[in-house]
Amino acid sequence: MVELAYAIVVLLLTGFVILDGWDIGAGLIHFAVGRNEAERGLVIRAIGPLWVWHEVWLVALGGVLFAAFPAVLASAFAGFYLALFLLLWSLILRGVALEVRGLVRDPLWREAWDFAFAVASLLLALLIGAALGNVLRGVPLGASGDFTLAFFTNFRVQGTVGILDWYTLSIAGFFVTLLGAHGASYLAVKTTGPVHDRSERLARWLWFAVLALLVVTCAETAVVRPELFAGIGRRPLAWLPAGVFGAGTALAVIGQWRRRERAAFLGSCLLIGGLMAAGAAGIYPVMLKSTLDPAASITAAGGATDAAGLRVALLWWPLAFGLAVSYALIVYRHYRGKVPATDSGPGY
Amino acid sequence: MNDPYFWSRLQFGFTITYHYLFPQLTMGLAPLLVIWKWRALRTGEARYAQAARFWAKIFGLTFAVGVVTGIPMEFQFGTNWAGFTRYSGGVIGQTLAMEGMFAFFLESAFVGALVWGERRLSPRTHFLAAVGVALGSWLSGYFILVTNAFMQHPTGYALAADGRLHLADLGAYLGNRWALVMFTHNQAAALVTGGFVVAAVGAFYALRREHLDSARLFLRTGVIVGLAASALVAFPTGDAQAKLVAQYQGPALAGMEGRFHSGARAEINLIGQPNVREQRLDNPIRIPGLLSFLAFGHVESDVRGLDSFARDTWPTDIEILYYSFHIMAGLGTVFMVLMLAAAAQLFRGRLPESRVLLWLLLMAFPFPFIANTAGWCAAELGRQPWLIYGLFRTDQGGSAVVSSGDTVFTLLGFLGLYFVVGVVYLGLFWRELLHGQTEADHG
Repeated sequence: MVELAYAIVVLLLTGFVILDGWDIGAGLIHFAVGRNEAERGLVIRAIGPLWVWHEVWLVALGGVLFAAFPAVLASAFAGFYLALFLLLWSLILRGVALEVRGLVRDPLWREAWDFAFAVASLLLALLIGAALGNVLRGVPLGASGDFTLAFFTNFRVQGTVGILDWYTLSIAGFFVTLLGAHGASYLAVKTTGPVHDRSERLARWLWFAVLALLVVTCAETAVVRPELFAGIGRRPLAWLPAGVFGAGTALAVIGQWRRRERAAFLGSCLLIGGLMAAGAAGIYPVMLKSTLDPAASITAAGGATDAAGLRVALLWWPLAFGLAVSYALIVYRHYRGKVPATDSGPGY
Repeated sequence: MNDPYFWSRLQFGFTITYHYLFPQLTMGLAPLLVIWKWRALRTGEARYAQAARFWAKIFGLTFAVGVVTGIPMEFQFGTNWAGFTRYSGGVIGQTLAMEGMFAFFLESAFVGALVWGERRLSPRTHFLAAVGVALGSWLSGYFILVTNAFMQHPTGYALAADGRLHLADLGAYLGNRWALVMFTHNQAAALVTGGFVVAAVGAFYALRREHLDSARLFLRTGVIVGLAASALVAFPTGDAQAKLVAQYQGPALAGMEGRFHSGARAEINLIGQPNVREQRLDNPIRIPGLLSFLAFGHVESDVRGLDSFARDTWPTDIEILYYSFHIMAGLGTVFMVLMLAAAAQLFRGRLPESRVLLWLLLMAFPFPFIANTAGWCAAELGRQPWLIYGLFRTDQGGSAVVSSGDTVFTLLGFLGLYFVVGVVYLGLFWRELLHGQTEADHG
């Protein structure tokens, strides 16, 4: 039961990173692929009408964490207090920028919101990357189940750690590169003309960087959280996402090589999904690791609500998820194909 | 200020108040959009399609601000109210998760299609998008109100051995009587906002003598919806809500009415200032027996005052509670009178020429927002000093590890950011008002 609830949490987190990841990624390379107002307008229209739906995966993640693992949510959210508010403010800025940019036909107005979109996306990628790094490294949890975390302490990964240290910073850097590559692959699929060509070129460089950084990141993780790889090796169920990750990497590389946009983008999605899911399977059952005392770590079973509550949630959740995906498929179907290069007013 | 969680309370209060300015308008507009899309589909008349197109843009803008200001609400349970989350997450987490999964996914999938997708979607699909958005927004309201109703009047829970609340009966939790009453009351109040805003825009165009077709349609729809909703918000929904408060939250009712002393033939105080130190109401104008009648159905009924409750169960901010309730009830009365007058002129066909009434309708648009806010302040301040009424006190629920300095910083951040968001929103609303009817781009 707890395993299923954990799997749902991982699924929602992974879905958020893949889906909103391409919106954030597009924001990261917004000024690199869109050199003028019209081109940047194309980038925004390529993200299209579904960024809110992508962001809702984060809301759903928060809700399910609340229902299934309230003690984990309470510890983690209070502990990451300031960082979480930075994340929320970046989300607000990003959302407002995407919604209001197109409403006024004025070059200065649009450039201002383009800038806000790019900055907010960079902050989001850094913060989410650093947050994932923190989950992998662990936090200074005491016996009370609470912790507080400074932004930085001594940049080491043991003892009284801060949010930023050499490891979490490198994970954040890797994450920015990964989402940039993901966003570039997405824009290559959805656009035509100069934006398409630049995205395609940029995607190659970024994927090259991702593969290089991936080796470094894995080596670092083997040092900081050795039980992750041991966990993957021990659990046959974790081999599936690991396989997905491998297939995704191959598909992304081949897609880039042969200029198959869709294959490359699909590979990108699989790579991210496999990476997140394999990592989550590797660290199970620990949800929040303590850097002070292994016994103070919060496990899935320790942070979960009672079995009856979990059973209820597991009963209605598949229905809700099925409905949610079916709505999105309807909208994706209407929004399929390349976005027209000429701006014929807002809308599609 | 002695309250350790003062800043957390202020931050949650400010962010939820600001957030709810937007969903009340989207929930109020959503059914109107469905009606206009339906009429456009059935009659083929351009004015309905045009109305839906115009209000869909307002809706989209309002929805976007509602989304981005809503996400911090869910997160603040964990960041600022970790004690509350640990204690009750097993119960209220269910509806917060359901809101995201059932309602918010539905609404967010279709809102883009509704606002921007008219060119690619068939008229039927576009109509269905409007239905999906409306359904999602009201469903979202229900799940949030179930969560709040649990805090007002807990049902369906069990206290487990580890000292935390667990869900015992999902049906009793979702079907909480308090939630059903509060939902009808709150949705009627959202429709008041929707009706008043639509009528105000109609009045704006009528006074400027432009877009007269739209003006007539907006006035008609706005006044009919506004009148019906203003009536429903008072009776039966407001009446039922007040009776629940009288039955289950005695100190809250006493605080709302500024009733310090118990007794029969309890009066309604139309105006007056609560003087908590002297335990009396200054300068009151009262109607004897009316409170007894409204709360318990008989003018002679005994209504308990604050003096009959233990001091540590008194609401913590009696003055604001009293004014919130009176502002809500007073404005509700004004709304009914104004909408009755407007409806009388409407059915005589003279509303578009009645300049005084048009001015009143135009200037009235902020007041439903004030009344909704005041109503929620009354509900939430009446709940104090409890987080979950009778079970869990507010001073047990905060995050012990978060410093007041951190909270003040984030509160200041919200104040700044929300000020900018508000200015941008109002500017764009104004722009849409001036140009939205004539712009050539269709969707």
